[in-house]
Amino acid sequence: MSSASQPIPPPNDRRGSRSSRSSSNAGFPEPMNSSDIAASESSGFVVGGPPGSPSPLALRASTSPHRRKSRGARIPPDFHLLDYVNTPDSNLICLICHCPFDRPVRLACEHYFCRICLDHAWDAQPEGCKTCPTCRHKVDADEEPLPVPKILERMLDELLVRCPNSKLGCPWVEQRSNLENHVMLYCEYALVECPASDCRLPVSQKDCHKGCLHYSVSCDNCHTSLLRKDLEDHQRATCQFRFAPCPHCSAELLRLDLNAHINDVCPKATVQCPGSIVGCKYSAERETVAEHETACPMATMAPFFRDQQARIERNEARFEPLVRKVGILEDGLSNITNMLYPANANDSSFPVTNPLDSNNPDAFPPAPLMPTPDFRLPPASFPPAPHNNDQSHSQPPFDSQIHHLLTLHDSLRDELSRVASALSELEGRTSMMIMNENQRVKEEMLHTNAAINGMRVQLHWLMSATLHQRTSASASSSATRAGGSASASGSGRSSASGTPTTGGATMRGPAVGMPPLRRLSDSIRQDTKL
Amino acid sequence: MSTGAKKRILREYAECQNDPLPGVKINFDEQNMTKWEILMDGPDQSVYAGGHYKLEINFPNEYPFKPPVVSFKTKIYHPNVSNDDKGSMCLGLLRPEEWKPPNKVISVLHLIRNLLIEPNPDDAIELSIANDYKTNRAEFDKTAKDWVKRYAK
Repeated sequence: MSSASQPIPPPNDRRGSRSSRSSSNAGFPEPMNSSDIAASESSGFVVGGPPGSPSPLALRASTSPHRRKSRGARIPPDFHLLDYVNTPDSNLICLICHCPFDRPVRLACEHYFCRICLDHAWDAQPEGCKTCPTCRHKVDADEEPLPVPKILERMLDELLVRCPNSKLGCPWVEQRSNLENHVMLYCEYALVECPASDCRLPVSQKDCHKGCLHYSVSCDNCHTSLLRKDLEDHQRATCQFRFAPCPHCSAELLRLDLNAHINDVCPKATVQCPGSIVGCKYSAERETVAEHETACPMATMAPFFRDQQARIERNEARFEPLVRKVGILEDGLSNITNMLYPANANDSSFPVTNPLDSNNPDAFPPAPLMPTPDFRLPPASFPPAPHNNDQSHSQPPFDSQIHHLLTLHDSLRDELSRVASALSELEGRTSMMIMNENQRVKEEMLHTNAAINGMRVQLHWLMSATLHQRTSASASSSATRAGGSASASGSGRSSASGTPTTGGATMRGPAVGMPPLRRLSDSIRQDTKL
Repeated sequence: MSTGAKKRILREYAECQNDPLPGVKINFDEQNMTKWEILMDGPDQSVYAGGHYKLEINFPNEYPFKPPVVSFKTKIYHPNVSNDDKGSMCLGLLRPEEWKPPNKVISVLHLIRNLLIEPNPDDAIELSIANDYKTNRAEFDKTAKDWVKRYAK
C-alpha cells in the first residue's frame, strides 16, 4: 500500500522511513513499525525511546506472525563447525574435513566420508571418472554411495556437542542428534531477524518479544550511549557506576571502587604478609594477616628494610651520573696530558699518564677524591718474556712509564744475549761440520792418487810390453826364418820362468799365450793394495 | 575458500602444534591462514645441518582437493628444489595427480624433512644438481655446505 506510493526505504534507514511514512499515511499506524516501540515502553527503564506509541493491542497482533516468520529464518546448524565436548574417536573422523562425520556414506572400497565432502571431492575431479579420494578406486559415475552401518550413525549421534550459540551465552550441551531440534526450535540465543520490519539487524530469540532493540539509549548511571539490546549486559556486568557485590565480602559498592576495595580494604580478600619483601611466605585473608603481623618479626622489620631499599636505590640513581662525570673528566685529563707531553701523544700504547706518576709530581698535584682509574699497561705492548709480565702484575698499577721502559730494556738485553749464544753455538757446529767434510775429501783424494799411480804403472808396463813385442817380432822375422815355431815356443818358456823373479812392474818377454793370465793376477794384487 | 576448509586448516595447525617435528616452527596467521610460514632447521644428520630455512606453504582455494604449494624462501642446493627465486618443490605427494584429500600437512612437512636428509635425485627438478649428487657426492656435499654458510645462516 505505502510501497506503491513511494520507493522502498533501505533496510536500516529507520528514522527516514518512519517520518516519511507518518507523513504520507498518518492514519494507519503500521503494526510492524509499532511493535518495537510498544516493547520498549513495556520494559519501563528506557530513556529516550522512539516517539509515537501505538496501542498494545496492535503490538500483540503484530508480534506473533513475526516470530513465526523469524523462526523460519533460522539456519540449520553446520555439523562441520560444531564444538565437541570431548575429542571424538579418530575412527569417527572424516579424512577430508577432519571433523566427525556428517551424514556419512560408504564407498565400495570400504572408505567412509561425509556426503558433502565426497561431493566436493568429486566436483574437483575431472568429469566422468569418479574415484575414491583415499584409494583412487574407480567409482561408477551413476553409482550412489552406500549407506553406513547403523552403529556408526548411533555413535555419531551420541557425541556430545555444545550449542553453536554458546558464544552468545547458550549453555546447552547435549547429544548431537538433538542439536537440530534445539537450534531450530528452542535455542533462546539463536540470532533471528529483528521483529521490526525495516530493521534487518539480528537479535537473540530471547529478546525477540521485546521488539526492535536497535536504537541508541544512554545508560542511567554512566551516561554512555549504547544500543538498547546491549543495555542489560552493560548494566549487569560492565557499567562502572552501578553497585556490584564484592566477590570476597558481603559489601556492595560501585564497580569503579571495587578494585581499590579488594586491593586495600576488603577484610576477606587474600593478601600477603607485609614481611613478604624480606621473605615471609604467609598469606591469608586480610583480617588474619593483621593478627599475624603483630607476631611476625619480618613484618616488624619490613618498614626498615623498605627504607634501606629506597635509600640504596636513591644512591644508585645518584651514582650513575657520577660515573659518567668521572669518565668525562678522565678523558679531559688525558687530553691535557697529551697536550703537555706530545711525545706520549703519538704513542698509542700509552694513552694516559697518571697524575700520581713520579715523573711529573709538580705538574699534577695528587687528586685524592678521584677514584683511581685503572692505568694498567696494555698487555699487547709487553714483550713475550713471562717473568717480566709477572713482575709488572705484582707492582701497583701506577708508576708505569719508566718501569715499562726498564722492563722493555731488560727483556731486549736478554733477547740479545740469547741470540748471541745461539749464534756462537751455530758457528761451532758449522766449523766442525766443515772439518769433517774436509777430512773425508782429503782421504778421497789420497785414494784417487793411489789409483792414478797404479794406472800409470800399468800403462807403463803395457807400453814397454808393446815395445818389446814389436822389437822381438822384427828380430824374429829377420833372424830365424826357418825354425820359427821352435823359437816361439822357446821364448814362451823363458818368459814363463821369468815371471816370479821380475814381480809386477818390470816384466819382460810377453808371449802370445801366457801374458793375459799373469796380467790378471797383477791387477788383482794392485786392487787389494789400493 | 569454504569454512570447512578453513576449519580443516585450523585443525591441521593444531595437530602440527601438538606433535611438533624437531627443528620445525610454524608461523601461523589467523587472518591469512592459507599461507603458512615455516622455519625449518637443517636436520643434524644431513649436509644442511646448521642452516635455517624459511619455507612457505600456500593452500589453494580448492584445498584439500588440490595439493598445498611448497616453496623454499631460502636458497638451498638441493636436487628437488628449484634453484630460482621461487624455490618451488614438486614431487611425491605434492604432485597434483598424486595428491589425495586425506593427506595432511604434517605428512608434507615430514616429506620435506626427509628430503633434506636424503634427496631424491631420480625425481629431480634441478638435473645438474641431481647429477652432481649421483656422480660426485663429495663435490655435492661441499657445495651444499657452502650454500648453507652463504645463504642459510
